[in-house]
Amino acid sequence: MSSRAPLPQFSSSVKLKYVKLGYQYLVNNFLTFLLVPVMAAVTLEVVRRGPEELLALWRAMQFDLIQILCSLFVIVFAGTVYFMSRPRPVYLVDYACFKPPAVCRVPYSTFMEHTRLINSDEKSVQFQMRILERSGLGEETCLPPANHYIPPRPTMEASRAEAQLVIFSAVDDLLRKTGLKPKDIDILIVNCSLFSPTPSLSAMVINKYKLRSNVRSFNLSGMGCSAGLISVDLARDLLQAHGSSNALVISTEIITPNFYSGHQRSMMLPNCLFRMGAAAILLSNRRREARRAKYRLVHVVRTHKGADDRAYRCVYEEEDGEGHSGISLSKDLMAIAGDALKVNITTIGPLVLPLSEQILFFLTLVGRKVLNAKWKPYIPDFKQAFEHFCIHAGGRAVIDELQKNLELSAEHVEASRMTLHRFGNTSSSSLWYELNYIESKGRMRRGDRVWQIGFGSGFKCNSAVWKCLRTVNPPVDGPWADCIHRYPVNIPEIIKL
Amino acid sequence: MTAGRERRVTLCAKTTAVSAIPVRPGKTHPLSALDHAMARHFLRLVFYFRAAPTLTKSRLMNSLSEVLSYYPAVTGRLHREPVEDAAGGGSEWRWVVKCNDAGLRLVEARAHTTLDEWLASATDGEEMDLAHSEPMGHDTSIWSPYCVQLTEFDDGAVAIGLSSAHINADLTSAILIVRAWSDAHRRACIVFPPFLHAPALDPRPNPNPNSALFSSKSAAAAASTEPAATTKMSSATFVFSDASVKSLLSDAGDASPFDALAALFWTRIAAPELGAADLTLGIDMRKRMHAPLPYAFYGNAFHFYRVRGVDLGAGLSRVAAEIRRVGEGVREEDFWEAVEWLHERRPGRREAEPAFQVYGPELTCVEVDRDAFAYGTPFEDNDGCRPAHVTCRVDGTEGAGLVLVMPAAAEGAARQVVVTLPDDVVAKVCRDAAIAKYEPTVLFAPAGVKKG
Repeated sequence: MSSRAPLPQFSSSVKLKYVKLGYQYLVNNFLTFLLVPVMAAVTLEVVRRGPEELLALWRAMQFDLIQILCSLFVIVFAGTVYFMSRPRPVYLVDYACFKPPAVCRVPYSTFMEHTRLINSDEKSVQFQMRILERSGLGEETCLPPANHYIPPRPTMEASRAEAQLVIFSAVDDLLRKTGLKPKDIDILIVNCSLFSPTPSLSAMVINKYKLRSNVRSFNLSGMGCSAGLISVDLARDLLQAHGSSNALVISTEIITPNFYSGHQRSMMLPNCLFRMGAAAILLSNRRREARRAKYRLVHVVRTHKGADDRAYRCVYEEEDGEGHSGISLSKDLMAIAGDALKVNITTIGPLVLPLSEQILFFLTLVGRKVLNAKWKPYIPDFKQAFEHFCIHAGGRAVIDELQKNLELSAEHVEASRMTLHRFGNTSSSSLWYELNYIESKGRMRRGDRVWQIGFGSGFKCNSAVWKCLRTVNPPVDGPWADCIHRYPVNIPEIIKL
Repeated sequence: MTAGRERRVTLCAKTTAVSAIPVRPGKTHPLSALDHAMARHFLRLVFYFRAAPTLTKSRLMNSLSEVLSYYPAVTGRLHREPVEDAAGGGSEWRWVVKCNDAGLRLVEARAHTTLDEWLASATDGEEMDLAHSEPMGHDTSIWSPYCVQLTEFDDGAVAIGLSSAHINADLTSAILIVRAWSDAHRRACIVFPPFLHAPALDPRPNPNPNSALFSSKSAAAAASTEPAATTKMSSATFVFSDASVKSLLSDAGDASPFDALAALFWTRIAAPELGAADLTLGIDMRKRMHAPLPYAFYGNAFHFYRVRGVDLGAGLSRVAAEIRRVGEGVREEDFWEAVEWLHERRPGRREAEPAFQVYGPELTCVEVDRDAFAYGTPFEDNDGCRPAHVTCRVDGTEGAGLVLVMPAAAEGAARQVVVTLPDDVVAKVCRDAAIAKYEPTVLFAPAGVKKG
């Protein structure tokens, strides 16, 4: 995304601000402005003519019964076709996030001590210390028990144990909150990128909760940190195909098997940033859930930049020179993320932006192409389309980059920053922790629109737009319940370790 | 350990236990002069518990995490902090515990035997396999002064081993850490929460540094620049039942169990040379001060004093009476003078003298856990879960050795005595008829010593 040139002096004056506001009100409510005088004119005319004159007018038209019946039939037919062809609404009934136990906590000093004890290379240790200092993580993030050993013991049994711990806690919580019975789950989607055993994690859930034998289960693996929104998209499509169904979506990342024990710098970031987390979401297209559902899914937009070689290789799992496998992150990750975001918002913009912004964008685009290529591109103001933003807490750099690109204020990205501080980078489930933060702070009102943006390997940028159906009042039961009063905290640029 | 016998304890894994609540950043716990003096010693405690449904590794680690929230000084790391020097030299330092929330080392182990078999047959060396400790190394910022070992026996019994640098805590503090852990495990109120107030043992406004005992120890340490061929030390535990101690008290006249047992072991260790001899004694000063410190005062608060020129041939009751007389004559003044003497010469100061052994090298006898906290640490709600046995050992006691007298598992006057002495002396004491007269149960003796 290009950086903005400093605004010319007159733009910052107050008068122009009111002109802009007036323009927005005029264009966004154009139809209202058009209709109001027309309706006023019609009403005046009717009142002026009087009821007898109107009745005489009606008789003069000489409608007979067949014509009236046919027109009624056409109206009813058109109405039915319209209602039947609308997509089924997808409701988010409720969701639950896993709260890690305090026993698994990783303070900075413990992390650095373990790194020193396991890794004999002083340069690697210093590098990891610098990453941790600038990471934006707090002292309460948690790693799974197997990663606490010196050296870590990433066995398959430990990975399964972590999966059972995080997934079953989140699902138990969700079943309790919604009163859902396991036999009522029609669709099950589990996404976990790095751990994919046989039988799959979705089979593990079916086994534990004794789901029906005709449940439609899907297990998405290898799809990176944006897989949570891919699962939601898949659930939405399935809920269009099957009426009156419940879909359980479980987003998690099992980090036990992925501890990197080598010395290559590009592979060390996941050790420092990835932490334990999971979220379970209940989606439904049943009409009766509309009354108690929290959100309705409005749009899902998926963007994949895998066709570009650079984007494809920027998050790449491979073995280093010594045979240790790890995920290597390339240096131009931020640039690629910015590109992917640009494509994504080009698609989502017309769907969500108010007319005023779209016209400005269109005019600037035409002007740049036709009149003067030197005009700076107009970045639409997404703050007019959404009240809340959930940006994947992939790292401090990602949040900073998006805050700059979308021109968001500190309060808009507060949920993302605080989630990164309290829970670390929990991969696909971080969006749900952020949403829970916003609810716990009491900021979620009926009618608010939320934009969830996820980034992932591939390189993918996925967005989901939700509309809030009922005001959520704190205190909210969830992972933030015991610590929300301490937030927001001020996170320094660099923490001295 | 006898050669050819396989190790019965295998270490499975090493991890770090952290507190449940983060420590406020920047917190430090300075160490007192008495703490600094203990730099050469290490504590090793082992608590044995019979199998119980809640004594599982995961639940023990959970309750340990909770209790560590009360002990930020236990989860910290030792750090040499430069001290503002009055003369402006700037080269002085002192030990400080930086409460950086790093946690304490936790080792998981398995013992391939049952608890009863272990208590019947384990030697002193094997027992220390249950309290793993790591040497300090040169980088104290990544070395955990505390190490907890959880060992599971074949029959489900659990041994909790706690090893600690003596510089951080004395035996009372260490025992009360485990006591607090047991309270947290039972979800009961912690009866003795730690009192973390290091300035409690700062020198008085008008210091009067004077300690004949420490001066002589320090001179001896400075004189022997070359470490003498260290005699091999072993250990044994004698458990005296209530009846035995009562019969000993009837023989020893008007004395407390500690005085009587100290006299008994002193005479039998020195035998057959029963002439005039000196003995160093140590007691916990927490409750013997004018402004008493709480039991759970965290740190070192033991006072060492000497009994001189006692004629060991004069009979048990005379020796016991003499010990008692000197013990009652210990004044709080003496303790403060010793602390101030140590304060002047603590390591890190320019006037520092080389570190000396506090427990030894002369024969030392210490009364531990006078208020019987060690055996009062049930991890479950019913009384049947009190420890089956508790061991206290101190490392670094070369020389004539150390005798620790502490309460035993049985109620009443029962006592146990843990001796750490040169090999031949231990063998002699284990076979000694005068001690055997009181029918002690001998546990954890060196291999090859017939248990009398």
